[in-house]
Amino acid sequence: MAKPKIPGLLVGLGITFKTMLKPAVTVQYPHEKEIPAPRARGVIALKEENCTVCMLCARQCPDWCIYIEGHKEKRPPRREGGRERSVSVLDRFDIDYSLCMYCGICVEVCPFDALFWSPEYEYSENRIGELLHDKQKLGEWMATVPPREPLEIGAEPGKAAKK
Amino acid sequence: MSTTGTPAAGSTSPDFTIDPGSMRHLAQAQVNVELDTGDMILNLGPQHPATHGTLRLVVRLDGERVISADPIIGYMHRGYEKITEFRTYPQVTTLINRIDWLSSFANEVPFVSAAEKLMDIEAPPRAQYIRTILTELSRIATFLLFLGEMGLQVGALTPAFYGFRDREHILNLIESATGGRFHPNFNRIGGLKDDLPWGWLAEARSAMQVVFDACDTFENLVLGNEIFAARCKGIGIIPAKLGVAYGVSGSNLRASGVDWDLRRDGDPYLVYPELDFKVWTHPDGDSFSRYFVRLQETRESARMVLQCLDAIPAGPVMTKVPLIIKVPAGEVWVENENPLGQMGYYVVSKGGTGPFRVKIRSASFSNISILPWLLQGVYVPDVVTILAGLYFILGDIDR
Repeated sequence: MAKPKIPGLLVGLGITFKTMLKPAVTVQYPHEKEIPAPRARGVIALKEENCTVCMLCARQCPDWCIYIEGHKEKRPPRREGGRERSVSVLDRFDIDYSLCMYCGICVEVCPFDALFWSPEYEYSENRIGELLHDKQKLGEWMATVPPREPLEIGAEPGKAAKK
Repeated sequence: MSTTGTPAAGSTSPDFTIDPGSMRHLAQAQVNVELDTGDMILNLGPQHPATHGTLRLVVRLDGERVISADPIIGYMHRGYEKITEFRTYPQVTTLINRIDWLSSFANEVPFVSAAEKLMDIEAPPRAQYIRTILTELSRIATFLLFLGEMGLQVGALTPAFYGFRDREHILNLIESATGGRFHPNFNRIGGLKDDLPWGWLAEARSAMQVVFDACDTFENLVLGNEIFAARCKGIGIIPAKLGVAYGVSGSNLRASGVDWDLRRDGDPYLVYPELDFKVWTHPDGDSFSRYFVRLQETRESARMVLQCLDAIPAGPVMTKVPLIIKVPAGEVWVENENPLGQMGYYVVSKGGTGPFRVKIRSASFSNISILPWLLQGVYVPDVVTILAGLYFILGDIDR
């Protein structure tokens, strides 16, 4: 490599001076916020009425941080003279965010579209135990789930983005 | 070199006169004996600002000079090779994200392609292209951090900020495509989790311009700087033969003049055979040449991404795979050129939903195995330069 004609100190000062004139790229966090990408894996939201207590998410979770409890209930038949239906009712659905690795396997394996990713990220707590979100709190995240975004040119037609 | 135990010359001189000059000389000799200390053992790490993470270096010092250095690893051992035996294949992909956390996507690719080889399936071309783009993006993100951090290690604070600033563009790209900035978990056996979001290709194109500009900045600011050259040239020279013998790989080996890149020389994988790229080498093998090679490779990666963006075909990103993936019995070895070097997985399957045994060959582990040899006889400030120049990730060493 050829030796530079200008001393490195001056080149460095020139770059610093140029950068000084540009606007800052940092944001002052609590006052200004950057908007995360719609796909960003921030927090998992639960749509409770879709959950059938199939336990697939709890079983597939790599560190088993999802706790589900449910019970069966008898419901009156849909038609006159039919059999009584038995449905699973969700008692408990907790995700321990102090253990969660944000891999998204639970969202992906859910066959009934009950789990969604939300890019929301501001839910830090002072006590680690409060990171255990129960089904009510997980349900509140549903409001922050963004709509499905369109895919890039060349993507397989007729396929919408997955949740 | 060491004068331990031997009294300084002149201290036992018999011709003792009242000459004041001689007195001074004698007093000086006495001080020399008192200051002559034994070797000092210095612990660099496990929690030391100059090491990257929890690497512990026990260096034996004679004054400022290192007599011997002993890297002690394992402070971050998480037992990934064992854990994989109790997890299913999709779960393993999540875990191996965390091996080299600066280029997580590049970690996933060899494991997923190992499973694909055993299952005898192949990801569709569009998925292969997206995988290549994201692998190269993670390489750029890793190297941009290195290019800034290397300046930091020799005492220049500013380049580190530029490195972090420009890496943000790449991380944002990875996040908008995969959902995770550091741990994408985007690869699935048989393809990818999802296609790219709308407008991603144009964004990637403009981000590549940022990378080229960043490389120019680093070339002027760091590589062309006289102080940086003085601190790095001739420091930590790895001879090519010794580097090969120790299993050093990746940019560290190419900086020693070995023209070996698995993207070009290994088993063809992803779409690298179709890309036009140059493998950069440098004959010197010192810290300066490692910086030079990584700088050029960053540019080369950005060029590769641009080529992929032009040539990306339309189509699906996922082949048909069963819902519950069971990999047929067999053994396979897949190695890829990761940002830090050669990374390989030896996967043994017995037909279950998870691997029977996985051996992970991570680049940093072999790269730092040369440290005891390399650090012999260097000065303490150069230890930091050499550590920074080798560029290892602790998670990649300890797994």
